[in-house]
Amino acid sequence: MNQVTTTSNLLFITLLAAILWPSAGPVPWHLLTVAIVVKAIDLIMLATVKNEASRRGSSDVSAIILAILLAWYVATSRFIVLDKMLFPQPEAVLTLFVAELPDMLKGLVNSLILLVSGYLLAVATALPLGLLVGWRVRLFHAVNPFTKVLGPIPPIVYIPYAIALLPSFRAASIFVIFIGAFWPIFINTVNGVFNIPKGLLDSARVLGLKEHTLLLRVILPGAMPSICTGATLALVFAFVLLTAAELIGANSGIGWYVKNFADFADYPRVVVGIIFISLVVLVITFGTERLERHLLRWRN
Amino acid sequence: MYEVTLSNVNYSYGDQRVLQDITFTAEPGDFVCLLGPSGCGKSTLLRLLAGLSFPSSGGITLDGKQISGPGLDRGVVFQDYSLFPWMTAGQNIVLALEQAFPGKKKDEYRETAAGYLEMVGLADAYDKLPGLLSGGMRQRAAIARAFAINAPVLLMDEPFGALDAITRARLQDLLLQLWQQRQDERKTVFFVTHDVEEAILLANRIVVLGVNPGTIKGVFEVDLPRPRIRQELYHNQTFQTLRDRLVTVLYENILSELDAGQIVASQGDGI
Repeated sequence: MNQVTTTSNLLFITLLAAILWPSAGPVPWHLLTVAIVVKAIDLIMLATVKNEASRRGSSDVSAIILAILLAWYVATSRFIVLDKMLFPQPEAVLTLFVAELPDMLKGLVNSLILLVSGYLLAVATALPLGLLVGWRVRLFHAVNPFTKVLGPIPPIVYIPYAIALLPSFRAASIFVIFIGAFWPIFINTVNGVFNIPKGLLDSARVLGLKEHTLLLRVILPGAMPSICTGATLALVFAFVLLTAAELIGANSGIGWYVKNFADFADYPRVVVGIIFISLVVLVITFGTERLERHLLRWRN
Repeated sequence: MYEVTLSNVNYSYGDQRVLQDITFTAEPGDFVCLLGPSGCGKSTLLRLLAGLSFPSSGGITLDGKQISGPGLDRGVVFQDYSLFPWMTAGQNIVLALEQAFPGKKKDEYRETAAGYLEMVGLADAYDKLPGLLSGGMRQRAAIARAFAINAPVLLMDEPFGALDAITRARLQDLLLQLWQQRQDERKTVFFVTHDVEEAILLANRIVVLGVNPGTIKGVFEVDLPRPRIRQELYHNQTFQTLRDRLVTVLYENILSELDAGQIVASQGDGI
């Protein structure tokens, strides 16, 4: 049993004690459930994972979550040192979370349609264009000045204009997400092609590969490490732009949810929305990391 | 069996003359080692033969035809980066086979590729990514690929330069064995090295190149019977004489610089 596991256990026991203390009033079941789930996941990890670094990581993460829950609970529910309206109690937030989940999931579907449309559109255009521009020197020199000028423009500035220009909010959001995701993928794809070791290209040339075979089987996988970096960056941009666009013009979606309830000073729901968004991001990140590891499995 | 002819080949990179007036003919089925210190342009010469670069003047012909670019009549093995790291050893060979013999069934390619891997002693490596193979195994796979396309000319750029001595010896033996296998369709080989003993062990003829600019300093016939047995070679009078002559020619520049009064201190500073 190492030091961190002890810390995690200690925090868990302290949190239980704080929650279940006789004078604490009604038992906050949701908070209790979350604490137990966090600890249970940690214990499962410890039982199944052999790698020492992963085990320690799992214990560390559980300790941090439990510490936050403990601090949050104590500061809002036991000793009320924080403003009640701005800092809702964990139990209130968690109860609301469960109640609001169906609505938020519905909003999420709307948001994801925008996100996925814009993002896939960006991948579908930036990737082939990037490969071609990286491969054809003349094309690169023709396009590079425009990349230099247009690439760094923060896509957020397009939002008001896009909303005015395009027929629907949906089209405008997709457009802005597309622009935001396009440049990181495009620029990183071009760089990825540049960074393919010259020896590999020689090797491809002596095999007499036709251009489409070369692009598909050598240039694309050779540029893949850089493409993955760009695609991850693009996803973050896309997510930020999605929420930003929703804050401005939507009538549904996860960004709109937070903005809407903030307008009504309904801060428990704001916190619920933020927690929900972070969980969504967590799932998406997990998925993309898996995909990246699969695409680049030849690297280790 | 191709004859390879280089006539008055010059190559400049910017203002720098890399190769000057290279004239040489490799007989069909010849094993030629290009020997020289680093910077003599021996790798450049190999690139010209591979069609990856073109001479500034002069011409190179394969079987009487001018080289117009890379082609599958030449198998090439580099020191590294021969295999694509995102394909397994087998897939690497299949890709080459698809180019050399288009229009066959997938299974046929797979079978042929597996056969060539077995030939170089890598029967179990078909599904392994190059990153999981040792340096020696990677070069074996690269050799398998070069032989798989059945090209009459084989070009090798210091293929064993990054390997340890024992692995290198094993691969030298493998290469000779494969090259000798079929008397009637022996490949014409160009093998770049800076290792004198490697050159003598492998070659029929050794072309020694000098530096600045790269010129042919001499062509040496290796008059040793095959198969050459490594252990016996070292005691062989012909081997020893040839080695001494090659070393003398190879280090002429350095020796003359020494004569000119450039001091190389015993501690090695100054080199």
